This record gives sequence, C-alpha cells and structure tokens, in this order.
Amino acid sequence: MSFWHQTLELARVDLTVERRLGETLRIIAPFALVALAIFPLAMGLRLTLVSEMGTAVFWAVGVLFGMQVGLRRSSSDDRERRDLHALLGVDPSARFAGRVLAGSLLTTIFLVVLFLAMTVLYGPELPESAVLGATLAIILAAVGLAELGTIAGEITWGLRDRTALASLIVAPLAIPLVIGGSQTLQAMAGDTGILPWVLLMITTDLALAVAGVALARPLEEATR
Amino acid sequence: MTRARAFLGIAALALAVGLWMAMTAPPDALQGVFSRIINVHVPSLWLAFLAFAVTAIGSVMWLWSKRPRWDRLAMASAEVGVLFTAIGLVTGMIWGQRVWGTAWDWGDPRLTTTAVMFFVYLGYLALRGAIDDPVVRARRSAILGAVAVVQVPLVYFSVYMFRTLHQIPSIRPDGSTMPREMLMAMLVNVAAFTILYVALVMARMEVAAAEESASDAEAMAGAVVRPPRLSEVGDV
Repeated sequence: MSFWHQTLELARVDLTVERRLGETLRIIAPFALVALAIFPLAMGLRLTLVSEMGTAVFWAVGVLFGMQVGLRRSSSDDRERRDLHALLGVDPSARFAGRVLAGSLLTTIFLVVLFLAMTVLYGPELPESAVLGATLAIILAAVGLAELGTIAGEITWGLRDRTALASLIVAPLAIPLVIGGSQTLQAMAGDTGILPWVLLMITTDLALAVAGVALARPLEEATR
Repeated sequence: MTRARAFLGIAALALAVGLWMAMTAPPDALQGVFSRIINVHVPSLWLAFLAFAVTAIGSVMWLWSKRPRWDRLAMASAEVGVLFTAIGLVTGMIWGQRVWGTAWDWGDPRLTTTAVMFFVYLGYLALRGAIDDPVVRARRSAILGAVAVVQVPLVYFSVYMFRTLHQIPSIRPDGSTMPREMLMAMLVNVAAFTILYVALVMARMEVAAAEESASDAEAMAGAVVRPPRLSEVGDV
C-alpha cells in the first residue's frame, strides 16, 4: 500500500470514528458558539465595538477551540490500535499525514461554521471580496491547527494532564496562524495586500508539515 | 573545582568589566542614563535566541544519537533560556515605560512574540515536568524542542514584518548606528552574558547528571520493595 493510499485510508477511518462520536460538531462547535455569544455581553453590548471586534473574536475563539478539534478523542489511538498499526507496517509519516488530513477537514468545517455565526452575530464590515481571503485564511489556519494538534496530541499521549498540557503547547505555537489570519481579514477590509500574511501562514504550515513528517517515527516511538 | 565553577568565575569577571564599561560609556543624548539598560536587555535576548537554538540542536542530536547528555543540554539550555527571556522582557518593559511611556504595547510585535516564545518554552518545561520516565521524557521533549524553535525567527524578524515601536537592530551588515563606546560596552556585555550562559548550562547539566545517578541508584537499591508510582500504574 502506497504512502498516499495509507494516508487516505487513515483519514477515512478517523473521519468515520469522528462521525460516530460527533465530538467536533456536537460538543466543540456548540461550546465555541457559546463563547462567541459571551463576548458581546462582556463588551457591554456596545454595538460599534462588537462590530469592530468581530473578526478578532473569531480568530481568538477559532484558534482556541480549533486546537481542541486537533486534540479530539477520535484522533487519539488507544494502545491496541497503535500496536495494530505497527504490526501492519503502517508508515508513521502516513499516519501523521492521514491524521492531519482528517483534522484539517474537520477544523475547516468548524471554522466556516464559526465564521458564518460571527458574521451574523457581530455584523463586521467586510467587503464581498473578503470571502475569498477569509476562505483561504480559514483553510490555511485549519491545516496549521491540525498539524499542531496532531504533534501535541502525540507528544502528550497517555499523560495524566494531557488536555491542559497539549493546549499549553499548541496555543503559543499557533500565534503565527492567528497573526496571519487576522491580518488577512484586516487587509481585505482595508483593501491592502494579503500576500505577506498568506505567505506567513503557508510558511508556518509547511514548516509544521516538514517537522511532523520528519519526526513521525520518533513520535511513534515516543508513545510505545 | 568543576568546569562550571571555573566558567562562573570567568563570567563574574567579565560581567564586572561589562558593568564598568556600561557605566562609563556616554549616555544617549535623548534617553539619558536609561539607555544603559541596553547592556542587559540586548544580551539577555541574544542569549534567549542562542539558548533555544541550542535546545533545538540538543533535541535533534538526542533523537539521532540517544545519548543522555544531549537531552541534558536541551533541558539546561531551555531553562536558562526561559530565565534570560524573562530578564529581557522585564528590562524591555522598564525601558519601554521610560521611552515609549508604556511598559506594554500590543502594537509592538517584538514584545508580543517574545512573550509568546516565553510561553512556548514554559510549555516545554511543563511537558518535561509531567513525565517521570527519563527516556520517554527525553524523546517527547526532544520532538517539541525541535518544533518549538520555529518561534525564534518569528520573534527576530517581527520588527521587519510589522510597523512597530521597536527599532530594527542597531548592528547590521552595513555597519552600526551606535556610537563606538556604547557599541563596545554592549558587545563586552554580550560576551560576558554568553560566558554566564555557558556556566549556568554546564552547572545545570551537572545537577541533572547527579539527579539521574541518584535516581538510578535508588531504582537499583529499592526496586524490590518500592511501591509502584502512580504514573507507572496506568489506567486501572
């Protein structure tokens, strides 16, 4: 079985498990929507401020909850499944890539839902042309978050304080994605160039992809 | 006398010389004596970059060779790096309060990205603290140490990427914008702080090696009667 076949098969299995568990859309997404609804109340319902803060709140909530998508239960194998993968000779790099692929898809859906909710709840002033930039920024952020979540989930696999520790690791490393995403939307709103911010996000995604693939085997060994 | 102590002695002498040069160099025309804080601020952050790069090198080398000393180097360098990052942040805030009129400016990406880098390596140290098994700890933290270093270029280049209050580096390939006496004082302090970094890393590595020996001796002597640790029990 080739690398890409393994990758696609593992992503398919992850998505099937997630479809059955429904952690992303039944738990994480509603929780994030509640967080999105809390911010205007915390701002004292000042409508101008709420409108101005819309995209900023989207990125803050999106990244903090998006990383939980990367750390969801369906992306964490139990020991038996890990042993099975090892016995079947699954390429650790394909395992990483498959997990990132499934995580990227789920995180993209999650961020799109959140973005639509934000535009309804906050009414930010964004030109129609911003849709393309927002879509691009969301996809790039989703890929980066999935990569970070996969790496952090593996590093902290089996530890007592896994969830808190993985979040502590992912949150600061996700800053380039937050900067790139928020600046892309600001640039679209101000009609200035988005290229530097898109490049920042692509560079971050590529660096994480290279690190994840190169460190896939040590990552697998670290959890056995 | 250990090598670490010898280096600490040399560092003390170098720091004394650096302090004397910093206090005798002419003050900045606009900032006055407050400009002297550059002699602590710049060396601290230079060492933070160096320390985290060394952590990445130690991490990669451990993954390649599995020799415990590389893990000790990565850990020691990260701990010292976090210390110097904190010093760099605090001195930057003091300087900012005087020059910009505010200690913390969200519009300054160098300040913000440095704080983020600080938290990344706090996470690294938290991960190490959460794992009891030395081999598992070394392996997992090596992976994080190799990944986390991507933060360092972001901090360094942030002053070029964004409009910022923070100035771009005074020393560039085409020369320096600083007066010669101030530049010399700062460079001597950079050297002195680097020697201090080496001494602290060596001392921490010696402590880590002693801790591992004590832990091994305890395991050998008490393995028969010691009750299992909670982390060794796993899920029940």
